[in-house]
Amino acid sequence: MADKLRIGVLGAGTMGSGIAQVCAQAGFETLLYDVSQEFIDSGLSRIRSFLQRSRARGKMTAEEEKQILERLVSTLRLEDFRECTLVIEAAPEQLDLKRDVFKKLDALCGPAALLATNTSSFSVTAIAGATRQPERVVGMHFFNPPPLMALVEIIRGERTSPATMEKAISLARRIGKTPVPAKDTPGFIVNRIARSFYNEALRILGDGQAEVPTIDRIMKEAGGFPMGPFELMDLIGIDINFAATQSIYQSSFYDSRFRPSPIQQRMVLAGNLGRKTGRGFYTYGEK
Amino acid sequence: MAKNSVAIIGRSRLAEELFQLSRDKGFAATLHPDADGIAASASLVVETRAAADEKKKEILKRLDADLPHSSVLLTSCAGSPTTRIASWTARPERVVGFASFYPLQEKRVVELSAGLRTQEASLKEAENLFRTLGKEPVRVKDGSGLIFPRILSLIINEAARSLDEGVAQAEEIDVAMRLGTNYPVGPLRWADQIGLDEVLAVLEGLQQETGEERYRPAPLLKKMVLAGWLGESAGRGFYSYTESKVTK
Repeated sequence: MADKLRIGVLGAGTMGSGIAQVCAQAGFETLLYDVSQEFIDSGLSRIRSFLQRSRARGKMTAEEEKQILERLVSTLRLEDFRECTLVIEAAPEQLDLKRDVFKKLDALCGPAALLATNTSSFSVTAIAGATRQPERVVGMHFFNPPPLMALVEIIRGERTSPATMEKAISLARRIGKTPVPAKDTPGFIVNRIARSFYNEALRILGDGQAEVPTIDRIMKEAGGFPMGPFELMDLIGIDINFAATQSIYQSSFYDSRFRPSPIQQRMVLAGNLGRKTGRGFYTYGEK
Repeated sequence: MAKNSVAIIGRSRLAEELFQLSRDKGFAATLHPDADGIAASASLVVETRAAADEKKKEILKRLDADLPHSSVLLTSCAGSPTTRIASWTARPERVVGFASFYPLQEKRVVELSAGLRTQEASLKEAENLFRTLGKEPVRVKDGSGLIFPRILSLIINEAARSLDEGVAQAEEIDVAMRLGTNYPVGPLRWADQIGLDEVLAVLEGLQQETGEERYRPAPLLKKMVLAGWLGESAGRGFYSYTESKVTK
């Protein structure tokens, strides 16, 4: 049974390649698809360097590394997903694109196959609506980087069947993750509740109540958080964080609790995106 | 002599913890449920009531009237800006705000704020107290709940709304936040430790101060406080605490 399980991962970006690595590492035959060889190559090289680092740190043997890579097959043909028991979609966050992909997968995959989306910004219901069998469509929301983050939110769309939820939960466990089921609502659990951590810190900054380093220090040393909100936004990418806020703000029909911060928007417009550009709420070395 | 005496006022876990901490650090500390029985000689009073209600106003007025003019009044500004609390007294110069949540143990920093009319000398004295207690005081601009209690209360409020809306169960929300964001404690469990009444006080203070919908407390949070389900100290909050066993 275990060896029969074939997992398809659609999209070889940061999330897709990370998810594929998780599946292959858990011992499953994994098929990684993207639309161009270039994307696949960069995804595979990300996986290879992650595994090399793990081996260098003594966390895996050369033999294990080799086996993981052998279980990981890449393809440019979506038809190759035909035999998959589970497909996890990690395509770019564009609703039309995702709906189109699900329509194709629905026609392609056997009726027993589970179709999962890793979307963080769209409703699973909206994506499932493009298929004829929305009962088998579910959200499997991984966190970045997937090989290191234990959580997977399992999202129940309006028409997701209880059996699909159960299967998705059990599959998440089998790939070594901790599943948490949640209703299909804007931001699900984590992205929604975590908004306050960033948005209220931005509000406090905007009000001139304290400076960036002071707020970070207070959240760590008076609050016990491992990182301050501004350090964390710099790490995540201010553009990514801003997009997550905007998406929840829009999908909640502009609930003022989620209103994005003009400070954050200005930083995105200025190209100060955090660590990746060398400049965000703090400045980092030369880049 | 009087320099080393401190009177702590309040019934919360935070008040008890401050009392213990002061004693451990060699202060002649006393703990009082309200303004009654405070020695007229107390040079420093720490008033910990989070909610900025009539009761707190009454305590502040009494203290202001009873204590020598030189003594400093340190008051929780969890539920109101320090300036408002100071306005209840005849000597706003000596009123200093602080905001923090239980437990203080293992926390290095405590936030302080001056009201618009607070004197520098009063702030310095408040800072000295916290330094002696082993905490580093950090000054921030006056506002309801200052920084950490404000941000955490909003997180807890959103978690309570999610629970009420049936997005997920309490334990699932806590697990998700710990694993998905590395929070040290899940927000609902955290609320149970702090006391739901303290969290509600911060939200109500912000709502009153700003008039913004953003700070409206979750109906569930309000109901639980009304029901007396304040968290660990009451035996029940988002979780049940009986025979020291945590159940849902």
